[in-house]
Amino acid sequence: MSLLDDPMMKEIVDEFCDEAADLFTQLEDILDEIEDHPDKFSVGLEQFGQIIDRVMGAAKSIGVDEVAKFCELGKIIGYKSSQVTDKKLQEIAVAVMFDTVDLLIKMNEKTRTGSDSSLKNLSTKTFPTRLHWLSEKFKDIDRASCSFDEKQSTDLSKEEDPQQSIDDLLNDLGL
Amino acid sequence: MGLKTSMKIIVINDMGTMRKIIEKMLKTMGFTNITQADDGATALPMIKEATELGVPYEFIVSDWNMPGMSGLDLLKTLRADDQYKDLPFLMVTAEAEQGNVVIAVKAGVSNFIVKPFSAATLQEKIQKIFKA
Repeated sequence: MSLLDDPMMKEIVDEFCDEAADLFTQLEDILDEIEDHPDKFSVGLEQFGQIIDRVMGAAKSIGVDEVAKFCELGKIIGYKSSQVTDKKLQEIAVAVMFDTVDLLIKMNEKTRTGSDSSLKNLSTKTFPTRLHWLSEKFKDIDRASCSFDEKQSTDLSKEEDPQQSIDDLLNDLGL
Repeated sequence: MGLKTSMKIIVINDMGTMRKIIEKMLKTMGFTNITQADDGATALPMIKEATELGVPYEFIVSDWNMPGMSGLDLLKTLRADDQYKDLPFLMVTAEAEQGNVVIAVKAGVSNFIVKPFSAATLQEKIQKIFKA
């Protein structure tokens, strides 16, 4: 049973939605900053990935699976984008990140009201197309998670990266 | 080190949702003395002050990815101090960071748990830590 079905958990779910809404605002601020200051692209998107990771962990824990999976997708794109140097690709990545946050905000509101928050009902047609295109461009980038110790982290990710691929997540989300 | 329900526990997580979930799980297991902190930087002085007052924390449940001071930095800071080298420390990680758990083990973590987790899994981890 999802925790959302447990009346005792309503307070926790409401708090999650409030916290997530605040964090989504921070994500939008980061993207605005990147747009205004492209030199902050890499650092900004690294922050983006760390923040969305926090929402993902909590969403998974309370059983808001679609939000969690979509956060995971945003996290991978955020971390992978942070390693991109091509300016055009950076601009597209930021645009996709804006769309991602916009959809997450909508999903969060649906979660709060107990409505159907599935992506199929919220997403536009162009969004999955952009995601798939971006996924193709990212295929050669290894790191898709937080960097704590660059050398060790990179070595480990090459050996045993448990991260689901973007394509797997898109499939899970029905996109 | 034995397991007693009155042991002093600190739950460290920047997400209030996660703190509440973990505290709820711990209370379900019978633990009664639980404090919360929202990141490592907030928790560290609380841990030190409790030790100075003679009522030290006996178990830490900390998230890894937090702003301010991460769980890993908190762990390293505590392990660098002889007073805390054996303080049980459970690290909470997101699925995608499992590879980095090796780093935490090297830093002296007692055990780790991957989000999302059930109360049963948390209990199992706690039992493993306190049986060791």
